[in-house]
Amino acid sequence: MIKLALKDLRLFVKDKRSMLITFAIPIALITLFALAFGGAGNSGKDAKISLQLSDLDHTEASASAIQIFDSLKNVNVLKVTLEQAQEKIKNGDEACVLIIQKGFSDSLTAGKELPLELQYDEAQEMQVGLLQQSLIPTVAMLPFNIGNAKAVMRNRFDNMVKGSDDSVHTQIHKESDGLFDALAMGVMQGSGTADIGAGFFGGDIKMTKLVAAKKDNTLGLVQAVAGTAVMMLLFSVVGIGVGLLDEKQEGTLKRLLYTPMNPINILLGKMLSANVISIFQLIIMFLFAAIAFGLDIYSHLTGLIITILATAYACSAFGVVLASFAKSRQQVQGLSTLIILVMSAIGGSMMPIFFMPSFMQKMAVLSVNYWSIQGFYDVFWRNLPATGGTFLSRIFVLILIGTLLNSLAVMMFKKNILKLS
Amino acid sequence: MITIKDLRKTYDGFEALKGVSFSIREGEFYGLLGPNGAGKTTTISIMSSILKPDSGEVLLNGKNIYTHSDESKRIMGVVPQEIALYNELTAYENLTFWGGLYAVTPSELKARIDEVLKLFGLYERRNDKVTAYSGGMKRRINIAAALLHRPRILFMDEPTVGIDPQSRNLIFEVIEKLHNEGMTIVYTTHYMEEAERFCDRIGIIDNGQIIAEGTLDELKKNSHARETVVVNFNNLNDALLQKIHSFGSDFKQVDNMIYYYTNNLQTELSKIISQCNDAGGEIHNIEIRKVNLETVFLDLTGKQLRD
Repeated sequence: MIKLALKDLRLFVKDKRSMLITFAIPIALITLFALAFGGAGNSGKDAKISLQLSDLDHTEASASAIQIFDSLKNVNVLKVTLEQAQEKIKNGDEACVLIIQKGFSDSLTAGKELPLELQYDEAQEMQVGLLQQSLIPTVAMLPFNIGNAKAVMRNRFDNMVKGSDDSVHTQIHKESDGLFDALAMGVMQGSGTADIGAGFFGGDIKMTKLVAAKKDNTLGLVQAVAGTAVMMLLFSVVGIGVGLLDEKQEGTLKRLLYTPMNPINILLGKMLSANVISIFQLIIMFLFAAIAFGLDIYSHLTGLIITILATAYACSAFGVVLASFAKSRQQVQGLSTLIILVMSAIGGSMMPIFFMPSFMQKMAVLSVNYWSIQGFYDVFWRNLPATGGTFLSRIFVLILIGTLLNSLAVMMFKKNILKLS
Repeated sequence: MITIKDLRKTYDGFEALKGVSFSIREGEFYGLLGPNGAGKTTTISIMSSILKPDSGEVLLNGKNIYTHSDESKRIMGVVPQEIALYNELTAYENLTFWGGLYAVTPSELKARIDEVLKLFGLYERRNDKVTAYSGGMKRRINIAAALLHRPRILFMDEPTVGIDPQSRNLIFEVIEKLHNEGMTIVYTTHYMEEAERFCDRIGIIDNGQIIAEGTLDELKKNSHARETVVVNFNNLNDALLQKIHSFGSDFKQVDNMIYYYTNNLQTELSKIISQCNDAGGEIHNIEIRKVNLETVFLDLTGKQLRD
């Protein structure tokens, strides 16, 4: 019994694939998720949420406000023109823009409501929500920090007693100023400035959806359907690719080589079947989402079909190339699990990419998942036209990935055929 | 019909073929015999043009099979050693798929599938999945799939390994029928009785070389194989071996057995037994072997065919 166990241990140590599955995959995943959730390698700058800021007021007060926003720990302020900002949001490159409207300085001086507007992409409303949490207290404190907080307070009380005679207003102003001084004293003694400001001054920001004005579907649904569909598709195309190795193992590949068929047709046949199955799989998944969850696929049919075709092409190429590289079914399964999980994690299949540090968001472009999911977002959320440059650029990338992987698969298959024989 | 000239093939430093040459005539049943690892499958793979030799060539009707690969493959059929079928498909679906890879019209293919299914006694089970078949039935379909395009040359690589007697007999009948119809057959087997029964000529390959070739009679005549008395001892050891050696007999030791070779069995047998007794050997049993392919093979290679 001990001899058998020792023999098995020796075989295990010699088997690189088993070592990879047992150790490398868990380590890779632990590393990945640790990075994604900010537990490791987080330099502080990476954890910041990006905020485009457009200053239409161009005053000293607005410049001061920008400085205050820029000093926020969790926010990375990018000063841009409104046009640039809106373009980036429409393309899905940024989530929102905070606009300091004309009249900001005057409102601040007069103690009126601040003309601040946050235009955003509804597809990224979770990121925008996080940003709001950081901005509201800061906006509320702007009158304290750079403006006339006393006047703001008076105006609020005035509004409450609108229609009263002057003597009432005079009395209110007097009481308000007294209260303000008391509050200021409290602030100086360090009793939670942000809460006081946010509670009373409101910190209101006008919210405007720049993208997806017509909200037919929820972000979560599109994320769930697109993310899961692409990840599961990758797993299933690997299964199809593995069929190639099964053929090799069971002798049918060799038998195919005995026939007059050009050997490359064996691979092309496998690619074709992988494409067809992938297309069906995606169609069924979106049909299911439409039937079960009410995803509106019918008013986005052209974009959806284009994205499905491009996704199926890229993903099936991935499955076939993996099988062409590997020597056995076991090797493919170990390798594919690692690659798919990593690609899905960084590509946004498991969670929206804005939850990740910025360097991981940059890495996302390396995954098929990212381009597919962005394509589906374009279709369902951003409502981009199927002929638009942004949408087509994602389709182009998917086709490019598919073509490169297929070419690689052809090369590797030729090499392996000679070894097979 | 097929001429093999000086084939050489090396795998990772191992010389699998060291200059194999032979030829096969049209309509001939040619047996390629050799122990495991001798180079049989490599030779068949090269002859069926799925493996390129390092040097040498295979000519089919005077044409190089690599430069005329498509044409060559259309007139060849290969029955691989392993059962190369899709288990989840029915026999009929398998045959439709494999036959469809050749230039056979659908109607012709349908008729041919029915014909081979009947030939192999599987017509009634044609719609069963292959996975539900017995080993013998799978072997039969494995052969049937190579016959759909009516090949002129059939390569059969150990087609009867591990099957029941009923399937074996049926396969033998089909093989004989095909040969009688004029098909050229190249056959590898571990079973001597099959080679003796079918082969017009036999090539014996060992260590990547053809070491003998000819009809069975020619092989017997040209070999040093003689009638053999195989004495199986209970107590064969170095001391006993040395004593037997001192009698000056012509023998060879294989495990616990001594193979005595003789040209005159009748006079030699009693002498051999008394020598064994004199040497102190405890005889477990004695077997007398006439000269056959097995003894020829053993004489040529020093190995049993199934080694």
